[in-house]
Amino acid sequence: MAGKLELLLLDDEPIVGKRLKPALAKIGCNVEVFEDPKQALDRIHQKTFDIVVTDIRMDEIDGLEILEHVLRKSPRTKVIMITGYAMMAVAREAMEKGAYDFISKPFTPDDLRKVIAMAAQALGSPIDSETADPEEPSEPAETR
Amino acid sequence: MPVVTLSSDSHPLGREIAVRAATALGYDCVDREILKAVAERHDVPETDLHKALDESPSPFGISSKNHARYLAYIEEAALAVLLKDNVVCRGLAAHLYVRGISHVLKIRILADPQKLAGEISSGRTLSFEKASALLKRREGFRRRWSLAAYRVDETDPSVYDMVISLTRIDPDEAVKTIVETTGYRKFKPMTYSLKCLKDKALASRVRVTLMEQFPDVTVQADGSSVVVQTKALEREKQKRTEVIKKLAGEFPEVAAVEVQILPDIFRKAAESFR
Repeated sequence: MAGKLELLLLDDEPIVGKRLKPALAKIGCNVEVFEDPKQALDRIHQKTFDIVVTDIRMDEIDGLEILEHVLRKSPRTKVIMITGYAMMAVAREAMEKGAYDFISKPFTPDDLRKVIAMAAQALGSPIDSETADPEEPSEPAETR
Repeated sequence: MPVVTLSSDSHPLGREIAVRAATALGYDCVDREILKAVAERHDVPETDLHKALDESPSPFGISSKNHARYLAYIEEAALAVLLKDNVVCRGLAAHLYVRGISHVLKIRILADPQKLAGEISSGRTLSFEKASALLKRREGFRRRWSLAAYRVDETDPSVYDMVISLTRIDPDEAVKTIVETTGYRKFKPMTYSLKCLKDKALASRVRVTLMEQFPDVTVQADGSSVVVQTKALEREKQKRTEVIKKLAGEFPEVAAVEVQILPDIFRKAAESFR
C-alpha cells in the first residue's frame, strides 16, 4: 500500500471511537474520530477521506445525510454505515444512496476490520485485516 | 447479487418464470426437486413434504405436529440453498419465512385469472364459472394456509418487493423486469443482510434438532448466540433447559444458549383437574 488509508469515524457514543480507533490504526488506517456530526461534516468538507464509517441514528444530522454529503464531495469514498437499530428498510435506503456496506451493532473490531479491508481492496489500496493483535478482546464494540 | 424468491398462484407459470429468470441471471433455480434429498435426510416420505406445502394439517391427513416438522425441514433446506447465493428459489414457501432480509428480492407472479380459469375448465370438464369459483376458493385456502403456518398472508401484496400480473405483462417482460431489478443497489448483499440470513439458517438448523423432542420450540440466533423458547411445567424446567443447552451447544457455530421456558398453562390446568 502506498500510504495510510484516511478514515473518518463518526459515532455519538464516545465508547465506539475509543474502542475502534486503536483497532483500525493497527491495520494501517489514519483514523479521525468524531462524536458530533456537525464537526464531522466540517472536516469532511475540508479533507477527502478514503473511508467514512458513520452511525446512522444521531441527533440533528443522521448518518444518511452524512452519506449524501460525503458522496457529493467525493464519489470514490467508501461509506460504511453502522447502527444499533438495523432494519431492512433503512439498510436498503442506505445502499440505494450509495453506502458501501451496512453493519448492525453490536460488532467486534474484527468484523469492522474485515469490511474496511474489502473497502480498501475496492479502492485499490489493499490492507491486511489480519495484522491486528491476536490478544485483542473480541467482544462487541458496544451494545446499542 | 441478490437472491430471488418467486411465488405464484400458478405452479407451472411460476416455474416457467423462475427457470427463465435464473437462466438469464446465470443463477441456479431451486424448486421442489430438493425435497427428495430432504426426505432422505430426515427419513420421511417425500410425498408428505409436498403435502405439507400444499395442504393444511387434518385428522385424515398430516397431523399438526408432523406438518410443523416437515415445514421446518423444508425451511432448513431452503435457507441453506439461499446462503449459497445466486439462486432463484421457488415452490418452497421461502417468501413466507425469509423476511426482513434486504438482499432477498421477493417476487409474486399472478397468472391471468381468465386464462387460468379457462385452462382449468378445459382440462377438467368444468364450466368457466365453476373454474373461476375454484380459483377463488384456492386463493382463500392459500391465505389460510400461509397464515396458519407462518402468520403471513401469502396473498397480501405488501409481503413482496414486486408483484407482476401477467394479465397485462407478458412473461418475457416479467423476466426482463426481474433481471433488471436484481441490479438495483438497494438489493445488494451487505454485511448486515448476510448476517441476518446466516442467523436465520442457524436458527432453523437448531430448531430442527430440538423439534424432535420439543415440537413447540422457537429459536432465534444472533451470531453465535441462540435463544430458545419452549413451554414446560415448573418441574420440567431444569431438565429441559439442560437438554436444550446440550443439544444446541453441539452446533460448532453456537457459543451461547439462552433457554426461556414459558409456563405450559394448558398442561398445568389439565393436571390440576386430575
